[in-house]
Amino acid sequence: MNKEQFLAKLDNALKRLPSAEREDILQDFREHFEIGLGEGKNEEEIAESLGAPQQIGKEMVAAYRIEKVEETATTGNIFRAVWAVIGLGFFNLLIVLAPFVALVAFVISGWALGVSLVLNPIFYLLNVAIYPELFELYQLFFTIGLAGVGIFMIIGMYYVTRWIIKGFVRYLQFNVKMVKGGLKHA
Amino acid sequence: MNVQFKKGVLELCVLVLLDKQDRYGYELVQKISDQIQISEGSVYPLLRRLTKEGYFTTYLKESSEGPSRKYYALTEEGRKYLQDLLDDWERFTSGVNQLIKEGVRDE
Repeated sequence: MNKEQFLAKLDNALKRLPSAEREDILQDFREHFEIGLGEGKNEEEIAESLGAPQQIGKEMVAAYRIEKVEETATTGNIFRAVWAVIGLGFFNLLIVLAPFVALVAFVISGWALGVSLVLNPIFYLLNVAIYPELFELYQLFFTIGLAGVGIFMIIGMYYVTRWIIKGFVRYLQFNVKMVKGGLKHA
Repeated sequence: MNVQFKKGVLELCVLVLLDKQDRYGYELVQKISDQIQISEGSVYPLLRRLTKEGYFTTYLKESSEGPSRKYYALTEEGRKYLQDLLDDWERFTSGVNQLIKEGVRDE
């Protein structure tokens, strides 16, 4: 692989990044080739030592995605970051996707439970509207009590969700740092 | 050497090399690959990440031979981070060395 082929492959691996970011990364590698050539190496040798441009591209994209989540944790950003980290290797598929799915399930069920508790009195009243003979005052109070629990639960879930997002982003960073890559032929 | 292990160590190597002087990317890569077998290209994502995390700043400097080079300089924050990593490293290696010594003696 010569310099042009290496840069073209890297550029292709970076195509999801904004053009300024991409150009900056490519510039670093052009500089690397220039200096190497100045020292008397040939393009093929330099490209060979650098390793697979696809893998370098993946690491660059993953780092960029995580940086974006740290700036603004939108749902789209989180999914893109998770996806990019998973793309780094098969091992990441297991250790990133499984906890991610579990946490998402936990967050969704927590919110769903909170919301359904809050809606309890409304459902009870609807039920009573249809079958008035079933009305019991203590049951109404009971459902209002549940709604109160639901409100606390929603407030709690708000903080838990934020905390989980923060924690998971740190976990992703840790993954990019420690897992896969950096080794020849890996 | 184990993959995970090496990747964490790479970060320490880069920080250590920048402790005494600023260096450009190619220089960092060569210094490290002279000692450890690495995929040289993987140093660049690392440099980018550490720069974004505020541990390095970069500047361009003219070179007598060829185009200008991007230099990396350790920030105050980077220096602190290096110290933390070094402490971890010392503890880790002395622990492993101790275990090796005991293991060898037992045989």
